[in-house]
Amino acid sequence: MQANETGGYIGKRLLRREDEALLRGRGSYVDDLAEPQNLLHLAFVMSPHAHALIKSIDTSAARSLPGVFAVYTGEDLAPLMKPIHTEILFPGYQAADRNALAYGKVRFVGEQVAVVLAEDRYIAQDAIDLIEVEYEVLPAAVDMEEARKPGAPLVHDHIERNIIFEGKFETPEFEREFAAGEHRIRERFRTGRVAGVPMEPRGCLALPEHSDAIVFHTSTQIQHLVREGLAHHLGRSEASIRVVVPDVGGGFGTKAQLYPEEVVAAALCFKLRRPIKWVQDRREELLTNIHARDHLYDLEVSFSSDGVIRGMQLELLTNAGAYSTYPFGCTLETTGGSRMILGPYRIRNYMYRSFSIATHTNPAGVYRGVAQPSCMMAMEGMLDRIGRYLGIDPAEVRRRNVVQASDMPWTTAVGVRFDTGSYQQCLDKALEAIGYDEFRRAQPRDRLVDGKYRGVGICNMTEFTGMGAPAWRSRGLKRMSGIDSAALRVEATGKVTVSISHAAAGQGHLTTFAQIVADYLGANIEDVRIIEGDTAVSPYGTNTFASRSAVTGGGAVIRASTKVADKIRRIAAHVLEASPQDIVVRDGYAHVAGVTDLRLSFREVAEIAYAMCDVSLPEGEDFGLEASEYYDPPVVTVANAAHVVAVTVDARDGRVTIDRHVVVHDCGRVINPMIVDGQIHGGAAQGIGEALMEEMVYDENGQLLNASLLDYLLPTAMDIPNFEISHIETPTIDGLGGFKGVGEGGLIGALPAVVNAVADALSGIGVNVNRVPMRPAYLRSLIRSAAAEGGAR
Amino acid sequence: MQLNNEHHLEASRAKVWEALNDLETLKASIPGCEQMERIDERTLRAVVKSRVGPVSARFTGTVAFSDIEPMCGYTITFKGEGGMAGFASGNARVDLSDDGDGTLLRYESKAQVGGKLAQIGSRLIDSVASKTASEFFQRFAAVVSQDQAKAD
Repeated sequence: MQANETGGYIGKRLLRREDEALLRGRGSYVDDLAEPQNLLHLAFVMSPHAHALIKSIDTSAARSLPGVFAVYTGEDLAPLMKPIHTEILFPGYQAADRNALAYGKVRFVGEQVAVVLAEDRYIAQDAIDLIEVEYEVLPAAVDMEEARKPGAPLVHDHIERNIIFEGKFETPEFEREFAAGEHRIRERFRTGRVAGVPMEPRGCLALPEHSDAIVFHTSTQIQHLVREGLAHHLGRSEASIRVVVPDVGGGFGTKAQLYPEEVVAAALCFKLRRPIKWVQDRREELLTNIHARDHLYDLEVSFSSDGVIRGMQLELLTNAGAYSTYPFGCTLETTGGSRMILGPYRIRNYMYRSFSIATHTNPAGVYRGVAQPSCMMAMEGMLDRIGRYLGIDPAEVRRRNVVQASDMPWTTAVGVRFDTGSYQQCLDKALEAIGYDEFRRAQPRDRLVDGKYRGVGICNMTEFTGMGAPAWRSRGLKRMSGIDSAALRVEATGKVTVSISHAAAGQGHLTTFAQIVADYLGANIEDVRIIEGDTAVSPYGTNTFASRSAVTGGGAVIRASTKVADKIRRIAAHVLEASPQDIVVRDGYAHVAGVTDLRLSFREVAEIAYAMCDVSLPEGEDFGLEASEYYDPPVVTVANAAHVVAVTVDARDGRVTIDRHVVVHDCGRVINPMIVDGQIHGGAAQGIGEALMEEMVYDENGQLLNASLLDYLLPTAMDIPNFEISHIETPTIDGLGGFKGVGEGGLIGALPAVVNAVADALSGIGVNVNRVPMRPAYLRSLIRSAAAEGGAR
Repeated sequence: MQLNNEHHLEASRAKVWEALNDLETLKASIPGCEQMERIDERTLRAVVKSRVGPVSARFTGTVAFSDIEPMCGYTITFKGEGGMAGFASGNARVDLSDDGDGTLLRYESKAQVGGKLAQIGSRLIDSVASKTASEFFQRFAAVVSQDQAKAD
């Protein structure tokens, strides 16, 4: 399916259609939606304990507060809903069901135990404070390593040693090849627990409609999966629930979940036939939106004296939190970390054991990059260590191990196919852009220049994008389809309406999908309008997460566009008395090749298709000018990039400054370079935050100690450098359109590159940096102890 | 959270010990104490209003005395529920010794907070605790030295 001879909209830096309204403050988020008169405001009572029995709940004072409509406990609502159950058909996984409102027991601080419905949010909040819950506090398992020891408190009685998922893998020749390497290095890499922290917290507005239906406005990335999840857990048909996604102020995977609050709000709307509204505050957001990346990699490589890796083995622990989230469950970080760690490197002999550990902390989920930032940090950190060990430049170690053009298509040790890529080219281009060789030449042995340690770090990464149905089947995720779809119609006026199965949280879909349609349909882009995020009008699909829309939705849109373009060609050929092959469709007209004044407009073609004129359709042609197409993309479409970062670490206070950050990115065929750059900017900013400051801190009792943005540090403009981005385009050949996903790459590449740059800066004084976040206190203590050791020598 | 300190009091060990076991003295010395009553010989029930940064709460809880060594010291175990604001619990070992004409009071205290207090108050909790402690000892010192003056 080739693009029409036309257009050239794909590849253009078109301004985002979304931005005018958003920049003028005319966006409409959940909290901006018009509130109906008899609205009830919902608020949740959250557990202050990480692990406790609920002995009693006294709601009498709250009930008698004027303006309070009702108070419900978990026990009251249990008959209205099934426990949230995430089915994963994967050996080693054990489900850990969650009651949307806990009863009997709470398993993390922030777990919801009761709700108030009131006339306004203030009263609801006051009523919350009047509810007295009596708990019997139980010992908590918080740290992953402690939690899997025998005798640790159990999060779920049926899950022994809190191992909620266990995976393992070994290539046939592993033992022999691993033993054959002349050198070995073992390292432990640790990443801090972080969260997506979207600017707009979550919220929903449920409106009763008709006799037994609701319209459910919610700040989500996955309208279809939310609808299906609500229908299933509330015992309703999908037809009784319409999910509508308003403007969403950031998703990052945080909103690719069905959350208990949504189940409760929908259940109460069905029960009471009253509109229900809930918008979380920042504390709730930090306590209860999925967390991620409390990961521990014990990685060992075996390698030859030339730096070539012979074999690699990994033990990975990921912290699942208290429950398996819906619909992704608690296995993705574990399987992802252990399978994607191979990156663009020729590692043929590999063995892993990986564990997802349940703890009495907020459930973990699929935050941007999932396990890729952490596993690339381990992999790329290990390549640097090989270089330092052998005295080979780290860039050269990568060149000796990276998959070459002659290796393509490459299949990894765990069986993932890379069809096309530019692993060496991105690396070389990025090194050249930052002036790597000069940097190294100028860098003194102790790395110290003017009181600051200077270092440069590399991450040469892969990003798994646009996973199709076979990928989700092989990962066992029962409720995850993998396909996406588009329904395209040329209206009777000649304008084009395209409904796609996705939902946007800032990705610019309205612009990029219009670019694809304009090219493949041959439409004038001004006439193309994209609709998404509403289950009443958007066709079924897997929605928007894991860098999938361009790949999966792009393919569906190409299919629908091509189909309708073919019909336009046939109709035009019939009228213009030419052969369909000789008809060119371009910019909203169909003309005979070489004779541009012999043409029909889309409007004229549409009038024929809709029987609105005297000209009849060609024989055998159906009415209408539309197509609905599904697309199942390849198992996975692998994008890649190289990040090279130069930093200074202040020797006095351990503060890191990023001097330069170069990205050479390859997401195949670029639809809109400006939007791709924007995705890289946002992701890289989050990667820098995760590398240098972000961390959710739990104490040993499971108390979250920083549930405010004063204490959970996010990077600001002051911390973010100017990103120097360039692109190499290596289109995928396995999928339609040549597109590869780009949503997560910025984060995946930035985190390891910053870590390696800091590690490089401090390598001159013999310091080993192997964990994030690298806050000043951590780096300062490393520098101080290195100085003390140096002094002792 | 740990808090260890010592205070010199201008009063005899007997006076200090008496004050440490006197309901009214304790009530007057504890900042924000609204109610205090004896449940049994070794347990008090108290209501204390407190504020940590943006979180203010009325804690209802118990204070229990153990390892009592008359004139020398005791261990206090406290537990307070502040409703939706969270909870606090902990213990403190208090030891007395002669210090010139007066008394040296040493304490070692461990406390834990949970819920909203921990979530948004952690950054402030140490300074609030040490401020509360110093306020307590200011008031307590005032009471005992006054008593001592009267006795003299």
